[in-house]
Amino acid sequence: MMIEAANIRKKFQAETVIEDVSLSVRKGSVYGLLGSNGAGKTTLLRMLAGILKANRGSVHIDGQPVFENNAVKERVIFLQDDLYFFSQYTPKQMAAFYKETYASWDEERYTSLKQMLGLDENKKINKLSKGMKRQVAFWLALSSKPDVMILDEPFDGLDAVVRKTIKSMMLQDVAEREMTVIISSHNLKEVEDICDYIGILHKGTILLERDIDDLKEEFHKVQVAFRKGKEPVTDSLSLVHKEKRGSVYIYILRGNKEEIEDHFLSQEPVVFDQLTLTLEEIFIYEMRRVGYAEEDII
Amino acid sequence: MLELDMRSGRPIYEQLVYQFKRLIIEGVMEVDEKLPSVRDLAGELTVNPNTIQKAYRELEAQGYIYSVKGRGSFVQQRADESSTMKVKELKEKTIPMLREAFYLGMTEAELEEIIREARGGSNDD
Repeated sequence: MMIEAANIRKKFQAETVIEDVSLSVRKGSVYGLLGSNGAGKTTLLRMLAGILKANRGSVHIDGQPVFENNAVKERVIFLQDDLYFFSQYTPKQMAAFYKETYASWDEERYTSLKQMLGLDENKKINKLSKGMKRQVAFWLALSSKPDVMILDEPFDGLDAVVRKTIKSMMLQDVAEREMTVIISSHNLKEVEDICDYIGILHKGTILLERDIDDLKEEFHKVQVAFRKGKEPVTDSLSLVHKEKRGSVYIYILRGNKEEIEDHFLSQEPVVFDQLTLTLEEIFIYEMRRVGYAEEDII
Repeated sequence: MLELDMRSGRPIYEQLVYQFKRLIIEGVMEVDEKLPSVRDLAGELTVNPNTIQKAYRELEAQGYIYSVKGRGSFVQQRADESSTMKVKELKEKTIPMLREAFYLGMTEAELEEIIREARGGSNDD
């Protein structure tokens, strides 16, 4: 495991922000940390990045404890939600600073990203817009070629083209050097394409943690209808949701796709269709199953 | 060349497997043609590289591609299996249509008539 948090807890005065979180991120994985505002994402990420010390539990990156450990921090880039730059500096000056901190700094990439993003390296960063500051942060981060990227709501305020450029370069690093990424968002749509693993943080605990493909393979949506409006037998199936529209029954089920198909087809339906289920729908049903109303979460 | 539906509940790797299979079966991708590298495809589609790796492993397991260490993945020579695949696909498409035909009250004799017609009347006297 590249990133490993075990039973961490964080309290600020009387308020417990992180209750009890354990999570692990495989090397070369892109982990999406989802949660509504106030779920504790930023606090959790700051502990993973070694900036904040947990009251209890431990955080390791590549087997090393992270808190105030410079050897680890030189391999990690943490992009915070509220970007902080030395206000009077230009990207070029920041680059010089990063070059000293990160042994893996890639000058060639710095130059090529400058062209791709079309940014001026001599303009003071505090004169830039929020979106451009974010681009500068990615520019420096991607040029540093870290082993681990910890990103807090990183795509806020970036347009679609820039998003794609950045995601694309990140994924190439994941493919090429097995860079490990943990990325937080309050919006599933924003990160579902690039993640292979998703965790949902809610009120300081991880509610759900799953491989995206496993999740998609587990849920199915079908519509079935029988002659004379007969109701299909579903006893042996794991039913998540059932709906009747006219004489057509719509089911959301968990289980093996072929078995579900065989089950219905053996009853000789007049209509039988597999419908597509979005990842968002799957999450909503899965959240309901563990006892949460979806509106506070996704 | 590849069209993915990110929002679909169908796993991305499955969509990739399906689409590569079609490209291979239909001869758009030729035998021994190199598939894009995992890195390039991940970048181009902005899809997680592990997902692409998974798709390539599946394609290899199903005999559609082979990989050469350090060089990448290539389209495998396939003898009859590709047509078997197509036959299976056709069957899947035909059955619902036939069911509908029966439902509408068509008889087997009428359907046989259609089959003869499709064959171009070569079996007629």
